[in-house]
Amino acid sequence: MSRSPNIANESANPNMSIPEALAKANAHWNAGQADIAEMLCQRILAAWPGHPDALHLLGLMAHAYGNLDVAINYLRQACAAPRAPAVYSANLAEMCRQRGLLAEGETHARRAVQMDTTHPGAWNNLGIILQEMGQFEESKRCLERVLTLQPHNAEAYNNLGNTCKRMGELTAAQRHWNRALSLRPNYAEPHSNLANLLSAQGEYDSAAKHAKRAIELNPRFADAYINLAGVETARNRHGEALRWIDSLLSFAPQHAVALASRALTLKKLDQLEDALAAVDRALVASPENAEAHNAHGQILQALGRTDEALAAYDRAATLPGTATEQALINRAILLMEQGQSESAKAEFDKVIQLYPGSAMALFNSADLRKFSEGDPLIETMHRLLNAGAETSANDKMLLHYALGKAYLDIGNSETAFHHLNTGSHMKRQTIDYSAAATSDWMESIAKVFSAKFIKEHAGQGNDSPMPIFVLGMPRSGTTLTEQVLASHPSIHGAGELGLMQAIINKIGDFPGNVPNLSAETLKQFGDSYIADITKIAHGKPYVVDKMPINFAFAGLIRLILPGAHIIHSRRDPVDTCLSCYSKLFTAEQSFSYDMTELGQFHRDYQNLTAHWRKVLPAKFFLEVDYEAMVEDLETQAKRMLKFLGLPWDPNCLNFHETKRTVRTASVNQVRKPVYKTSSGRWRKHAAQLGPLLQALDIAAE
Amino acid sequence: MNLEALQVEVHRLIQTDQPEAAEALLRPHLAGGVGPIPLWRQMAVALRRQGKMGEVRHIQMMLVEHNPGDLTARFDLSETLLMLGEYERGWREYQYRYSLAHTVAIERKVQRPRWGGEAMPGKTLLIHDEQGFGDTFQFIRLTREAARRSKARVILEVNHETLALARRSLPEFEITARGTLPPAFDVHCEMMSLPMALDLKLTDLPGPIPYLLPDPARLEHWRRRLAGLPRPLVTLAWAGRPVHPNDANRSMTLDMLAPLAHTGAHFLPIQKGPAAAQANNPPAGMSLMSLSNEIRDFDDTAAIFCLTDLLISVDSSPVHLAGALGRPTWVMLPFVPDWRWLINRSDTPWYNHHTLFRQPRRGDWPSVINNMAQALRDFVQQPRQTY
Repeated sequence: MSRSPNIANESANPNMSIPEALAKANAHWNAGQADIAEMLCQRILAAWPGHPDALHLLGLMAHAYGNLDVAINYLRQACAAPRAPAVYSANLAEMCRQRGLLAEGETHARRAVQMDTTHPGAWNNLGIILQEMGQFEESKRCLERVLTLQPHNAEAYNNLGNTCKRMGELTAAQRHWNRALSLRPNYAEPHSNLANLLSAQGEYDSAAKHAKRAIELNPRFADAYINLAGVETARNRHGEALRWIDSLLSFAPQHAVALASRALTLKKLDQLEDALAAVDRALVASPENAEAHNAHGQILQALGRTDEALAAYDRAATLPGTATEQALINRAILLMEQGQSESAKAEFDKVIQLYPGSAMALFNSADLRKFSEGDPLIETMHRLLNAGAETSANDKMLLHYALGKAYLDIGNSETAFHHLNTGSHMKRQTIDYSAAATSDWMESIAKVFSAKFIKEHAGQGNDSPMPIFVLGMPRSGTTLTEQVLASHPSIHGAGELGLMQAIINKIGDFPGNVPNLSAETLKQFGDSYIADITKIAHGKPYVVDKMPINFAFAGLIRLILPGAHIIHSRRDPVDTCLSCYSKLFTAEQSFSYDMTELGQFHRDYQNLTAHWRKVLPAKFFLEVDYEAMVEDLETQAKRMLKFLGLPWDPNCLNFHETKRTVRTASVNQVRKPVYKTSSGRWRKHAAQLGPLLQALDIAAE
Repeated sequence: MNLEALQVEVHRLIQTDQPEAAEALLRPHLAGGVGPIPLWRQMAVALRRQGKMGEVRHIQMMLVEHNPGDLTARFDLSETLLMLGEYERGWREYQYRYSLAHTVAIERKVQRPRWGGEAMPGKTLLIHDEQGFGDTFQFIRLTREAARRSKARVILEVNHETLALARRSLPEFEITARGTLPPAFDVHCEMMSLPMALDLKLTDLPGPIPYLLPDPARLEHWRRRLAGLPRPLVTLAWAGRPVHPNDANRSMTLDMLAPLAHTGAHFLPIQKGPAAAQANNPPAGMSLMSLSNEIRDFDDTAAIFCLTDLLISVDSSPVHLAGALGRPTWVMLPFVPDWRWLINRSDTPWYNHHTLFRQPRRGDWPSVINNMAQALRDFVQQPRQTY
């Protein structure tokens, strides 16, 4: 860019007075002519070292060019002058906040409002510093003061909304953000904030729209990406969530919260090694970030590194920030999975005491308790449910499920189902699911994997005997079956693995593309599955994958892993469905939040597994009834081991002593020796199960 | 070939002007519409070089959709959309022109809000030009519309070289020189952000022409200087500024214009810069008298355009000056030109006396020049009018 050579001379007129030079410097800077403005400031400082106005202007310029430390340094000097005005302290306060120097920022902001009680910028900056320090009441008063002075200040409304959100005043927060947007429709921040709030309310489409609008308005606005990824995570679209996080990391590779979110999303996608790498990067980028430590804990836990996970949660809970509650809950859940029910319960009680409104803690601890009439926690949960808009829709859903559990314990079937129906209805609203499409899909699977088709592909794939699949409906006893098997010294229980799903994802259109797969591809799929389970086998020759939904892929398993043994776990249909219905799954089980859809899904499952019974060789396909296991565990355990060609081992009967972690919705049952109360459990709730029984075509009596 | 080696090879092919081979190499890796982002970026470049703008647009839209924070991708998309005449989104994405690795440092950090097209009577709006002279000549026309729409007092800031032209042509505005302190103002707008603020559409163009006026004294000077020369007089420029990033594609040499020699036209080179010396050795038979050394500033150039019959030039600032003056101009364009010339048309909505001669194939200047020689023979026969 060319500049006239005589300008510098004109502005450098040695006869110019300091006030003239200052006025000129400010005017040049306003016009974006940084060079001349800077030169004039330096000349003033040469004549009058420490001149506060020149220092202040240099500070503002450094700030505009992103040199925060230099800017703070200039402003500290400027504010040290005896006649420095309030606005200098206010500006310094905000720069300190941006630098994370909250305590110093607070001092400067308080000085500013003391010097000039009518300065809106000073009150605003104090308000957001106090918000970040967790002093919400005073933050709110400061920001309200700004709005008294400037009733149309969109930033103040946005900031006030943030403070209200952190105080749990969700209705007020939403109102303030909407007001900010009505004052300034192209203001990115309130859009992003609303996305976060609406996502917690389960209004995902609207939430995503706000987040995308925020990104459109400011394509480098990190929070908007985090919030958009959060919306996609909340509706179980983990691939999409990952896409947005990666999109953010493409221009902010060190963003700690993004890296932590990436790790958690990869964990949900069963990519644990990548997840660990991502969270390690987050901790390098920001060693004091509570969210990163919390994510670290969750990844370590998924990797079975329990002690390290506990340490990470402890660290997350003690660092400043908003992650404490979540970290303490995660800690308690880990103890629960470890079978340390009493410690877990104590931890949950501690969280509930610290955060009496924590729906997450109440929900997660519900499974650990046996509720009785008059339990004060029931009262607490009702109170939270009745708190109107101050409890988010997502929290209300958790509370309905927890109350459903509580009333089932008490034996109040009608009230229990009122809550379960409400909770499942809320969940159903957030999910796209078509029962008809699922039926068609399962029928098409049976068609593709005909007896003839399976025979034609005999001898292909990887014939390793290592894999044992335990599959069936969720809540049909797959966890118990796996526990019995995993107690055998030759078998490792790996839990619910996402490996088959990953292969299905590679195939793309399943089962449509299956006839097009070459023998070479089938072999590759088999090889990759074996390679993956070998890594987690702890040196044992057999590995159990108990992902229930693999029942849909049994035909494909036969093709790619002809040496694999498949155990189909069966259970009374109504008991199974009732158990599904009363659970809010962490992973997606889209079919289980409406009794009719659930019944239909079970019918489809019955048809498909009946097909496998016909077309899969009995040498590799065994069916085990949960009720028979409960009645006579030893007989069934021996039957399974015989099927697998393994010698009997008495440890299989003491499965509840197994030290390994259990990570499914059944976690609190398998630790109890055997659980006979489950069988035929549904009959006492028959009056509440009309649509389910109808869909299953089962008479109530 | 692994991903990295592939990228290196594709880069080499693009650098050595083999975009077809680059495309062929990339295709299998992007089959089914799925593939790594860096490969899509390279594909967009390879296709752009071949002028396959529809597909380029598709890929760039996808890249922006995928990574909204990739501001370079947004700028690339803006150029494609503008070239395809999709002005609304095009101008919006064009705002990221100062977010590129090599432009971040030159963005002017004006400490006042940017004008968004709203009316603001009683306020002062500073409109400031940006980089190339051609940009200023082309976009200065929007000043009056900005004043009408904003109802504000408008201050116009332009570079020194165009200051006199601007002051004469837009006498109703206060006009200051870039680098000097403008009067106090409330809101600002870069000259090339005016289209976004005004929501400029193709149908709004060209607006009143001429919008730049020559200096009467200079007209007189050049009338005397050019008196008695044989007509038609065709001014000539064959190279743009050598520092322009696309110079190799848009510039040529005087030698290559040899086919114009025997058309009956008389040529007045106005070429500036190092390429001007080529006029010392003109192609055989070309009737030529270089004015390059006599031209002191754009006021001279403007006066010359007004007194001569036609400008023939590559894509450089003179074509915009001539267009703003309403003078006939033939522009020689590379196969894939700058976005402002759009695609598939021999006229331009920006100037109503322009004819565009486009390369039919990459690098094919001979066809351009032969077509132009043909047209010039016809032009020589036509009646004409000058100042």
